[in-house]
Amino acid sequence: MRCQHTSIRFGAALALAVGALAAPAAVDITLPNTKDSVKIAIIGDSGTGDSAQYKIAEQLIASRQKFPFEFALMMGDNLYGGDTPKDYDKKFETPYKPLLDSGMKFYASLGNHDNPNERMYKMFNMNGERFYTFKPKNNVRFFALDSNYMDKPQLQWLEKELAASGSDWKIVFFHHPIYSSGGTHGSDLQLREQLEPLFLKYGVDAVFSGHEHFYERIKPQKGIYYFVSGGAGKVRKGDVGKTPLTAKAFDTGYHFMLIEFSKDTMHFQVISEEGKTIDSGALPRFSDADKKKLSTATP
Amino acid sequence: MTRFLAALAFAAVAHASTVSALQKPEVNPHAALLADFKERVDKYVELRKKADDSAPPLKETKDPAKIREAQEALVERIGAARAGTKRGDIFTPEISAHFRRLLRPELKEAGTKALMKDDDPNPESVAFKINAPYPDKQPLSTVPPNVLATLPRLPKDIDYRFVGKHLILRDVRANMIIDYLPNAIS
Repeated sequence: MRCQHTSIRFGAALALAVGALAAPAAVDITLPNTKDSVKIAIIGDSGTGDSAQYKIAEQLIASRQKFPFEFALMMGDNLYGGDTPKDYDKKFETPYKPLLDSGMKFYASLGNHDNPNERMYKMFNMNGERFYTFKPKNNVRFFALDSNYMDKPQLQWLEKELAASGSDWKIVFFHHPIYSSGGTHGSDLQLREQLEPLFLKYGVDAVFSGHEHFYERIKPQKGIYYFVSGGAGKVRKGDVGKTPLTAKAFDTGYHFMLIEFSKDTMHFQVISEEGKTIDSGALPRFSDADKKKLSTATP
Repeated sequence: MTRFLAALAFAAVAHASTVSALQKPEVNPHAALLADFKERVDKYVELRKKADDSAPPLKETKDPAKIREAQEALVERIGAARAGTKRGDIFTPEISAHFRRLLRPELKEAGTKALMKDDDPNPESVAFKINAPYPDKQPLSTVPPNVLATLPRLPKDIDYRFVGKHLILRDVRANMIIDYLPNAIS
Protein backbone atom coordinates (compact mmCIF):
# COMPACT_ATOMS: atom_id res chain seq x y z
CA MET A 1 0.00 0.00 0.00
CA ARG A 2 3.00 2.25 -0.35
CA CYS A 3 3.69 4.16 -3.49
CA GLN A 4 6.37 6.55 -4.53
CA HIS A 5 5.38 9.76 -6.16
CA THR A 6 7.54 10.69 -9.08
CA SER A 7 8.15 14.36 -9.47
CA ILE A 8 6.11 16.02 -12.15
CA ARG A 9 7.45 18.29 -14.81
CA PHE A 10 5.04 21.00 -15.67
CA GLY A 11 6.43 22.92 -18.60
CA ALA A 12 4.61 23.69 -21.78
CA ALA A 13 1.81 21.18 -21.38
CA LEU A 14 0.55 22.89 -18.24
CA ALA A 15 0.86 26.37 -19.71
CA LEU A 16 -1.09 25.27 -22.75
CA ALA A 17 -3.73 23.44 -20.80
CA VAL A 18 -4.26 26.23 -18.31
CA GLY A 19 -4.27 28.88 -20.99
CA ALA A 20 -7.04 27.06 -22.82
CA LEU A 21 -9.47 27.77 -19.99
CA ALA A 22 -10.99 31.18 -19.40
CA ALA A 23 -8.85 32.32 -16.50
CA PRO A 24 -10.64 33.77 -13.49
CA ALA A 25 -9.30 36.79 -11.61
CA ALA A 26 -5.68 36.24 -10.68
CA VAL A 27 -5.12 34.64 -7.31
CA ASP A 28 -2.66 36.39 -5.05
CA ILE A 29 -0.38 33.76 -3.65
CA THR A 30 0.91 34.52 -0.18
CA LEU A 31 2.95 31.33 0.14
CA PRO A 32 6.77 31.48 -0.01
CA ASN A 33 6.82 29.29 -3.14
CA THR A 34 10.39 28.13 -2.62
CA LYS A 35 12.17 25.82 -4.98
CA ASP A 36 12.58 22.65 -2.93
CA SER A 37 9.42 22.70 -0.84
CA VAL A 38 6.54 20.24 -1.18
CA LYS A 39 3.59 22.07 -2.69
CA ILE A 40 0.12 20.61 -2.65
CA ALA A 41 -3.55 21.53 -2.96
CA ILE A 42 -6.48 20.23 -0.95
CA ILE A 43 -10.06 19.82 -2.11
CA GLY A 44 -12.82 18.30 -0.03
CA ASP A 45 -16.37 17.18 -0.80
CA SER A 46 -15.87 18.30 -4.35
CA GLY A 47 -17.76 15.81 -6.49
CA THR A 48 -21.09 17.47 -7.18
CA GLY A 49 -20.64 18.33 -10.83
CA ASP A 50 -22.33 21.64 -10.05
CA SER A 51 -21.19 25.11 -11.09
CA ALA A 52 -19.61 25.69 -7.66
CA GLN A 53 -17.25 22.75 -8.16
CA TYR A 54 -16.32 24.12 -11.57
CA LYS A 55 -15.67 27.60 -10.17
CA ILE A 56 -13.38 26.21 -7.53
CA ALA A 57 -11.67 24.07 -10.17
CA GLU A 58 -11.01 27.19 -12.23
CA GLN A 59 -9.46 28.94 -9.25
CA LEU A 60 -7.39 25.86 -8.54
CA ILE A 61 -6.12 25.81 -12.11
CA ALA A 62 -5.39 29.54 -12.06
CA SER A 63 -3.52 29.33 -8.77
CA ARG A 64 -1.27 26.60 -10.13
CA GLN A 65 0.12 29.03 -12.68
CA LYS A 66 1.63 30.96 -9.79
CA PHE A 67 2.05 28.19 -7.26
CA PRO A 68 3.02 24.99 -9.06
CA PHE A 69 1.61 22.43 -6.64
CA GLU A 70 2.59 18.91 -7.51
CA PHE A 71 -0.58 17.11 -6.55
CA ALA A 72 -3.93 17.50 -4.80
CA LEU A 73 -5.33 15.58 -1.86
CA MET A 74 -9.04 14.77 -1.96
CA MET A 75 -10.89 14.65 1.36
CA GLY A 76 -13.65 12.30 0.17
CA ASP A 77 -17.12 12.60 -1.33
CA ASN A 78 -15.33 12.68 -4.61
CA LEU A 79 -18.43 11.59 -6.53
CA TYR A 80 -21.83 12.44 -5.12
CA GLY A 81 -24.94 10.62 -6.27
CA GLY A 82 -23.47 7.74 -8.21
CA ASP A 83 -20.34 6.42 -9.84
CA THR A 84 -21.26 5.74 -13.43
CA PRO A 85 -18.67 6.69 -16.07
CA LYS A 86 -20.74 9.85 -16.62
CA ASP A 87 -20.33 10.76 -12.96
CA TYR A 88 -16.55 10.35 -13.16
CA ASP A 89 -16.57 12.56 -16.22
CA LYS A 90 -18.81 15.34 -14.95
CA LYS A 91 -17.60 15.39 -11.34
CA PHE A 92 -13.88 14.81 -11.81
CA GLU A 93 -12.42 14.48 -15.28
CA THR A 94 -14.01 17.55 -16.86
CA PRO A 95 -13.57 20.14 -14.07
CA TYR A 96 -9.94 19.17 -13.46
CA LYS A 97 -9.07 18.33 -17.09
CA PRO A 98 -6.24 20.86 -17.50
CA LEU A 99 -4.61 19.58 -14.33
CA LEU A 100 -5.03 15.94 -15.34
CA ASP A 101 -3.76 16.66 -18.84
CA SER A 102 -0.65 18.24 -17.40
CA GLY A 103 0.09 15.02 -15.50
CA MET A 104 -0.80 16.37 -12.09
CA LYS A 105 -1.84 13.70 -9.65
CA PHE A 106 -4.82 13.51 -7.34
CA TYR A 107 -4.69 11.35 -4.21
CA ALA A 108 -8.17 10.52 -2.96
CA SER A 109 -9.62 9.35 0.30
CA LEU A 110 -13.10 7.88 0.54
CA GLY A 111 -16.14 9.71 1.87
CA ASN A 112 -19.52 8.31 2.81
CA HIS A 113 -20.87 9.22 -0.63
CA ASP A 114 -18.15 7.27 -2.42
CA ASN A 115 -18.34 3.72 -3.66
CA PRO A 116 -15.21 2.09 -2.21
CA ASN A 117 -14.49 0.72 -5.68
CA GLU A 118 -13.30 4.23 -6.57
CA ARG A 119 -10.03 2.88 -5.21
CA MET A 120 -9.70 1.05 -8.56
CA TYR A 121 -9.79 4.30 -10.49
CA LYS A 122 -6.20 5.01 -11.43
CA MET A 123 -6.59 8.78 -11.46
CA PHE A 124 -7.32 8.68 -7.72
CA ASN A 125 -3.94 7.01 -7.09
CA MET A 126 -5.18 4.76 -4.31
CA ASN A 127 -3.39 1.64 -5.57
CA GLY A 128 -6.61 -0.32 -5.28
CA GLU A 129 -6.73 0.17 -1.50
CA ARG A 130 -9.08 1.95 0.91
CA PHE A 131 -6.08 3.27 2.83
CA TYR A 132 -2.53 3.87 1.68
CA THR A 133 0.57 5.96 2.18
CA PHE A 134 2.94 7.77 -0.14
CA LYS A 135 5.98 9.95 0.07
CA PRO A 136 6.45 12.58 -2.62
CA LYS A 137 9.77 13.86 -1.34
CA ASN A 138 12.27 13.01 1.32
CA ASN A 139 10.76 14.88 4.23
CA VAL A 140 6.98 14.47 3.98
CA ARG A 141 4.83 11.34 4.16
CA PHE A 142 1.09 11.25 3.62
CA PHE A 143 -1.38 8.72 4.99
CA ALA A 144 -4.86 8.38 3.46
CA LEU A 145 -7.43 6.65 5.65
CA ASP A 146 -10.95 5.34 5.14
CA SER A 147 -12.80 6.89 8.08
CA ASN A 148 -16.10 5.33 7.00
CA TYR A 149 -14.88 1.96 8.12
CA MET A 150 -12.12 2.17 10.71
CA ASP A 151 -11.68 -1.52 11.40
CA LYS A 152 -8.87 -3.30 13.17
CA PRO A 153 -6.83 -4.21 10.08
CA GLN A 154 -6.76 -0.52 9.10
CA LEU A 155 -5.73 0.60 12.58
CA GLN A 156 -2.99 -2.04 12.69
CA TRP A 157 -1.77 -0.97 9.28
CA LEU A 158 -1.72 2.69 10.32
CA GLU A 159 0.27 1.94 13.45
CA LYS A 160 2.81 -0.07 11.48
CA GLU A 161 3.20 2.61 8.81
CA LEU A 162 3.42 5.49 11.27
CA ALA A 163 6.04 3.63 13.29
CA ALA A 164 8.10 3.10 10.13
CA SER A 165 7.82 6.67 8.89
CA GLY A 166 10.78 8.05 10.80
CA SER A 167 11.35 11.78 11.09
CA ASP A 168 9.30 12.89 8.10
CA TRP A 169 6.46 15.33 8.34
CA LYS A 170 3.53 13.02 8.97
CA ILE A 171 0.35 14.23 7.32
CA VAL A 172 -2.85 12.23 7.69
CA PHE A 173 -6.03 12.83 5.69
CA PHE A 174 -9.47 11.25 5.76
CA HIS A 175 -13.11 12.22 5.45
CA HIS A 176 -14.61 12.57 8.94
CA PRO A 177 -13.02 15.25 11.15
CA ILE A 178 -12.15 14.28 14.69
CA TYR A 179 -12.18 17.96 15.67
CA SER A 180 -14.86 20.19 14.21
CA SER A 181 -17.27 22.92 15.26
CA GLY A 182 -19.85 21.87 12.70
CA GLY A 183 -23.45 22.14 13.74
CA THR A 184 -24.52 19.37 11.39
CA HIS A 185 -21.84 16.81 12.19
CA GLY A 186 -19.28 18.05 14.70
CA SER A 187 -16.26 16.14 16.01
CA ASP A 188 -16.31 12.41 15.44
CA LEU A 189 -15.53 11.28 18.97
CA GLN A 190 -15.48 7.53 18.31
CA LEU A 191 -12.95 8.03 15.57
CA ARG A 192 -10.94 10.37 17.77
CA GLU A 193 -10.77 7.72 20.47
CA GLN A 194 -9.17 5.30 18.01
CA LEU A 195 -6.93 7.62 16.02
CA GLU A 196 -5.68 10.31 18.37
CA PRO A 197 -3.60 7.97 20.56
CA LEU A 198 -1.79 6.74 17.43
CA PHE A 199 -1.30 10.29 16.15
CA LEU A 200 0.22 11.29 19.49
CA LYS A 201 2.33 8.18 19.91
CA TYR A 202 3.94 8.49 16.49
CA GLY A 203 4.14 12.27 16.21
CA VAL A 204 1.64 13.11 13.49
CA ASP A 205 2.05 16.77 12.54
CA ALA A 206 -1.14 17.70 10.74
CA VAL A 207 -4.52 16.20 9.91
CA PHE A 208 -6.86 17.22 7.08
CA SER A 209 -10.51 16.17 6.77
CA GLY A 210 -13.68 17.08 4.93
CA HIS A 211 -17.29 15.99 5.50
CA GLU A 212 -18.25 19.37 6.94
CA HIS A 213 -19.06 21.73 4.11
CA PHE A 214 -17.00 24.64 5.31
CA TYR A 215 -13.45 25.58 6.24
CA GLU A 216 -12.18 25.46 9.78
CA ARG A 217 -8.68 25.77 11.16
CA ILE A 218 -8.69 24.19 14.57
CA LYS A 219 -6.47 25.47 17.36
CA PRO A 220 -3.62 22.95 17.73
CA GLN A 221 -4.80 19.99 19.74
CA LYS A 222 -2.10 18.28 21.83
CA GLY A 223 0.57 19.43 19.41
CA ILE A 224 -1.25 18.49 16.20
CA TYR A 225 -2.69 20.86 13.58
CA TYR A 226 -6.19 20.04 12.34
CA PHE A 227 -7.99 21.47 9.32
CA VAL A 228 -11.51 20.84 8.10
CA SER A 229 -11.80 21.47 4.37
CA GLY A 230 -15.01 20.19 2.84
CA GLY A 231 -16.13 23.07 0.70
CA ALA A 232 -14.77 22.48 -2.80
CA GLY A 233 -18.19 21.57 -4.15
CA LYS A 234 -20.69 22.14 -1.38
CA VAL A 235 -21.22 24.73 1.31
CA ARG A 236 -23.35 24.61 4.44
CA LYS A 237 -23.83 28.25 5.24
CA GLY A 238 -23.69 29.30 8.86
CA ASP A 239 -22.90 25.79 10.08
CA VAL A 240 -19.77 26.58 12.09
CA GLY A 241 -20.85 26.79 15.70
CA LYS A 242 -19.17 28.85 18.36
CA THR A 243 -16.75 26.50 20.07
CA PRO A 244 -13.34 26.97 21.66
CA LEU A 245 -11.84 24.78 18.92
CA THR A 246 -11.90 27.39 16.17
CA ALA A 247 -8.85 29.38 15.19
CA LYS A 248 -10.46 30.53 11.93
CA ALA A 249 -13.60 29.49 10.06
CA PHE A 250 -15.33 30.24 6.78
CA ASP A 251 -18.84 28.97 6.05
CA THR A 252 -20.26 31.48 3.63
CA GLY A 253 -18.68 30.24 0.40
CA TYR A 254 -16.67 27.52 -1.33
CA HIS A 255 -12.95 27.10 -0.93
CA PHE A 256 -9.81 25.03 -1.49
CA MET A 257 -6.44 25.01 0.23
CA LEU A 258 -2.84 25.37 -0.88
CA ILE A 259 -0.11 24.02 1.36
CA GLU A 260 3.66 24.30 1.23
CA PHE A 261 5.94 22.20 3.39
CA SER A 262 9.44 23.38 3.99
CA LYS A 263 11.83 21.72 6.40
CA ASP A 264 10.25 23.00 9.60
CA THR A 265 7.25 25.05 8.57
CA MET A 266 3.89 24.34 7.01
CA HIS A 267 2.56 27.34 5.10
CA PHE A 268 -1.08 27.42 4.11
CA GLN A 269 -3.43 29.58 2.11
CA VAL A 270 -7.17 29.11 1.76
CA ILE A 271 -8.84 30.52 -1.35
CA SER A 272 -12.53 31.12 -2.10
CA GLU A 273 -14.37 30.65 -5.39
CA GLU A 274 -13.81 34.36 -6.05
CA GLY A 275 -10.09 33.98 -5.64
CA LYS A 276 -10.01 35.75 -2.30
CA THR A 277 -7.73 34.61 0.47
CA ILE A 278 -9.82 33.41 3.39
CA ASP A 279 -7.01 32.36 5.69
CA SER A 280 -3.26 32.02 5.49
CA GLY A 281 -0.29 31.55 7.73
CA ALA A 282 2.83 29.63 8.66
CA LEU A 283 2.80 26.92 11.28
CA PRO A 284 6.04 25.73 12.81
CA ARG A 285 6.67 22.06 13.13
CA PHE A 286 6.64 21.05 16.79
CA SER A 287 9.80 19.34 17.93
CA ASP A 288 9.50 15.83 19.37
CA ALA A 289 10.08 17.25 22.85
CA ASP A 290 7.35 19.86 22.38
CA LYS A 291 4.98 17.25 21.00
CA LYS A 292 5.55 15.11 24.07
CA LYS A 293 4.76 18.01 26.38
CA LEU A 294 1.74 19.12 24.34
CA SER A 295 0.32 15.62 23.97
CA THR A 296 -0.77 15.63 27.59
CA ALA A 297 -1.70 19.30 27.81
CA THR A 298 -5.33 20.38 27.80
CA PRO A 299 -5.91 22.59 24.79
CA MET B 1 12.64 -48.42 43.23
CA THR B 2 10.62 -49.22 40.08
CA ARG B 3 7.48 -49.56 42.17
CA PHE B 4 8.20 -46.25 43.86
CA LEU B 5 8.60 -44.47 40.52
CA ALA B 6 5.43 -46.02 39.15
CA ALA B 7 3.53 -44.88 42.22
CA LEU B 8 4.96 -41.40 41.84
CA ALA B 9 3.97 -41.23 38.18
CA PHE B 10 0.47 -42.42 39.01
CA ALA B 11 0.15 -39.78 41.73
CA ALA B 12 1.35 -37.06 39.36
CA VAL B 13 -1.15 -38.03 36.66
CA ALA B 14 -3.97 -38.19 39.21
CA HIS B 15 -3.01 -34.75 40.55
CA ALA B 16 -2.83 -33.22 37.09
CA SER B 17 -6.24 -34.52 36.10
CA THR B 18 -7.75 -33.19 39.36
CA VAL B 19 -6.18 -29.76 38.75
CA SER B 20 -7.34 -29.64 35.14
CA ALA B 21 -10.83 -30.63 36.21
CA LEU B 22 -10.86 -27.81 38.75
CA GLN B 23 -9.26 -25.22 36.44
CA LYS B 24 -11.27 -25.94 33.34
CA PRO B 25 -10.53 -23.15 30.88
CA GLU B 26 -13.44 -20.81 30.31
CA VAL B 27 -15.28 -21.62 27.14
CA ASN B 28 -16.92 -18.82 25.19
CA PRO B 29 -20.53 -19.96 25.15
CA HIS B 30 -20.94 -18.25 21.80
CA ALA B 31 -17.84 -19.77 20.21
CA ALA B 32 -19.88 -22.27 18.25
CA LEU B 33 -22.14 -19.50 16.91
CA LEU B 34 -19.18 -17.39 15.90
CA ALA B 35 -17.52 -20.36 14.24
CA ASP B 36 -20.74 -21.05 12.39
CA PHE B 37 -20.90 -17.42 11.20
CA LYS B 38 -17.28 -17.54 10.07
CA GLU B 39 -17.84 -20.75 8.19
CA ARG B 40 -20.83 -19.30 6.36
CA VAL B 41 -18.93 -16.14 5.43
CA ASP B 42 -15.88 -18.14 4.33
CA LYS B 43 -18.12 -20.27 2.15
CA TYR B 44 -19.40 -17.10 0.51
CA VAL B 45 -15.85 -15.82 -0.01
CA GLU B 46 -14.92 -19.09 -1.69
CA LEU B 47 -17.92 -18.76 -4.01
CA ARG B 48 -17.06 -15.13 -4.74
CA LYS B 49 -13.49 -16.07 -5.55
CA LYS B 50 -14.70 -18.50 -8.20
CA ALA B 51 -17.05 -15.88 -9.65
CA ASP B 52 -14.27 -13.30 -9.53
CA ASP B 53 -11.87 -15.58 -11.39
CA SER B 54 -14.27 -16.01 -14.27
CA ALA B 55 -15.49 -12.38 -14.51
CA PRO B 56 -13.69 -9.42 -16.14
CA PRO B 57 -11.14 -8.44 -13.52
CA LEU B 58 -11.87 -5.58 -11.15
CA LYS B 59 -8.46 -3.99 -11.16
CA GLU B 60 -6.95 -0.52 -11.29
CA THR B 61 -7.87 1.29 -14.47
CA LYS B 62 -8.14 4.77 -15.90
CA ASP B 63 -11.47 3.82 -17.45
CA PRO B 64 -14.43 4.08 -15.02
CA ALA B 65 -16.55 2.04 -17.45
CA LYS B 66 -14.30 -0.94 -16.83
CA ILE B 67 -14.79 -0.65 -13.06
CA ARG B 68 -18.54 -0.57 -13.62
CA GLU B 69 -18.49 -3.52 -16.01
CA ALA B 70 -16.38 -5.63 -13.67
CA GLN B 71 -18.64 -4.82 -10.73
CA GLU B 72 -21.81 -5.65 -12.62
CA ALA B 73 -20.37 -8.85 -14.07
CA LEU B 74 -19.38 -9.92 -10.60
CA VAL B 75 -22.90 -9.32 -9.26
CA GLU B 76 -24.31 -11.37 -12.12
CA ARG B 77 -21.95 -14.28 -11.61
CA ILE B 78 -22.34 -14.32 -7.86
CA GLY B 79 -26.11 -14.14 -8.27
CA ALA B 80 -26.06 -17.14 -10.61
CA ALA B 81 -23.78 -19.09 -8.30
CA ARG B 82 -25.99 -18.28 -5.31
CA ALA B 83 -29.28 -19.04 -6.97
CA GLY B 84 -31.59 -20.47 -4.37
CA THR B 85 -29.97 -18.75 -1.41
CA LYS B 86 -32.31 -16.79 0.80
CA ARG B 87 -32.16 -14.19 3.50
CA GLY B 88 -30.91 -15.67 6.70
CA ASP B 89 -28.55 -18.17 5.12
CA ILE B 90 -25.72 -16.34 6.88
CA PHE B 91 -27.66 -14.48 9.56
CA THR B 92 -29.43 -17.56 10.89
CA PRO B 93 -31.92 -16.93 13.73
CA GLU B 94 -29.28 -17.97 16.32
CA ILE B 95 -26.53 -15.81 14.77
CA SER B 96 -28.99 -12.92 14.44
CA ALA B 97 -29.89 -13.09 18.11
CA HIS B 98 -26.21 -13.08 19.02
CA PHE B 99 -25.48 -10.06 16.82
CA ARG B 100 -28.31 -8.13 18.42
CA ARG B 101 -26.85 -8.94 21.82
CA LEU B 102 -23.39 -7.79 20.68
CA LEU B 103 -24.70 -4.51 19.32
CA ARG B 104 -26.91 -3.53 22.23
CA PRO B 105 -24.26 -2.25 24.70
CA GLU B 106 -22.21 -0.48 22.02
CA LEU B 107 -25.18 1.51 20.85
CA LYS B 108 -25.78 2.81 24.33
CA GLU B 109 -22.45 4.67 24.15
CA ALA B 110 -22.90 8.41 23.84
CA GLY B 111 -22.68 9.61 20.27
CA THR B 112 -22.58 6.20 18.59
CA LYS B 113 -26.19 6.28 17.44
CA ALA B 114 -25.90 9.93 16.45
CA LEU B 115 -22.84 9.18 14.37
CA MET B 116 -24.58 6.32 12.62
CA LYS B 117 -27.60 8.46 11.88
CA ASP B 118 -25.37 11.18 10.51
CA ASP B 119 -24.47 9.37 7.30
CA ASP B 120 -27.49 7.14 7.21
CA PRO B 121 -28.85 6.28 3.78
CA ASN B 122 -32.55 6.43 3.19
CA PRO B 123 -33.78 2.91 4.10
CA GLU B 124 -36.66 3.22 1.66
CA SER B 125 -34.22 3.62 -1.20
CA VAL B 126 -32.35 0.42 -0.47
CA ALA B 127 -33.78 -2.78 -1.87
CA PHE B 128 -33.36 -5.28 0.93
CA LYS B 129 -32.72 -8.10 -1.41
CA ILE B 130 -29.80 -10.46 -1.28
CA ASN B 131 -27.57 -10.62 -4.37
CA ALA B 132 -28.83 -7.15 -5.32
CA PRO B 133 -26.49 -4.19 -5.75
CA TYR B 134 -26.34 -1.55 -3.06
CA PRO B 135 -28.04 1.49 -4.64
CA ASP B 136 -25.75 3.88 -6.49
CA LYS B 137 -27.10 7.13 -5.21
CA GLN B 138 -27.32 6.28 -1.54
CA PRO B 139 -24.45 7.09 0.83
CA LEU B 140 -22.84 4.30 2.80
CA SER B 141 -23.36 4.52 6.53
CA THR B 142 -20.27 5.12 8.59
CA VAL B 143 -19.78 2.25 11.00
CA PRO B 144 -18.33 3.56 14.27
CA PRO B 145 -15.03 1.91 15.23
CA ASN B 146 -16.41 0.76 18.60
CA VAL B 147 -19.23 -1.07 16.83
CA LEU B 148 -16.80 -2.65 14.37
CA ALA B 149 -14.60 -3.79 17.23
CA THR B 150 -17.57 -5.64 18.75
CA LEU B 151 -18.63 -7.52 15.65
CA PRO B 152 -16.81 -10.58 14.32
CA ARG B 153 -14.00 -9.65 11.98
CA LEU B 154 -14.73 -10.13 8.30
CA PRO B 155 -12.49 -11.17 5.42
CA LYS B 156 -11.12 -8.47 3.15
CA ASP B 157 -13.71 -6.81 0.93
CA ILE B 158 -16.71 -7.93 2.94
CA ASP B 159 -18.15 -5.27 5.22
CA TYR B 160 -20.94 -4.43 7.63
CA ARG B 161 -23.15 -1.42 6.96
CA PHE B 162 -26.29 -0.13 8.57
CA VAL B 163 -29.35 1.03 6.73
CA GLY B 164 -31.69 2.45 9.31
CA LYS B 165 -32.07 -0.25 11.97
CA HIS B 166 -30.92 -3.02 9.68
CA LEU B 167 -27.44 -4.47 9.36
CA ILE B 168 -26.23 -5.37 5.91
CA LEU B 169 -23.44 -7.75 5.04
CA ARG B 170 -21.99 -6.32 1.85
CA ASP B 171 -19.57 -7.52 -0.79
CA VAL B 172 -17.37 -4.50 -1.38
CA ARG B 173 -15.98 -5.62 -4.74
CA ALA B 174 -19.41 -6.40 -6.15
CA ASN B 175 -21.09 -3.59 -4.16
CA MET B 176 -23.75 -6.19 -3.42
CA ILE B 177 -25.87 -7.23 -0.47
CA ILE B 178 -24.90 -10.73 0.66
CA ASP B 179 -27.35 -11.00 3.54
CA TYR B 180 -29.00 -8.68 6.05
CA LEU B 181 -30.18 -8.70 9.59
CA PRO B 182 -33.47 -6.85 10.05
CA ASN B 183 -33.88 -4.73 13.16
CA ALA B 184 -30.32 -5.33 14.26
CA ILE B 185 -30.59 -2.26 16.46
CA SER B 186 -33.59 -0.87 18.20
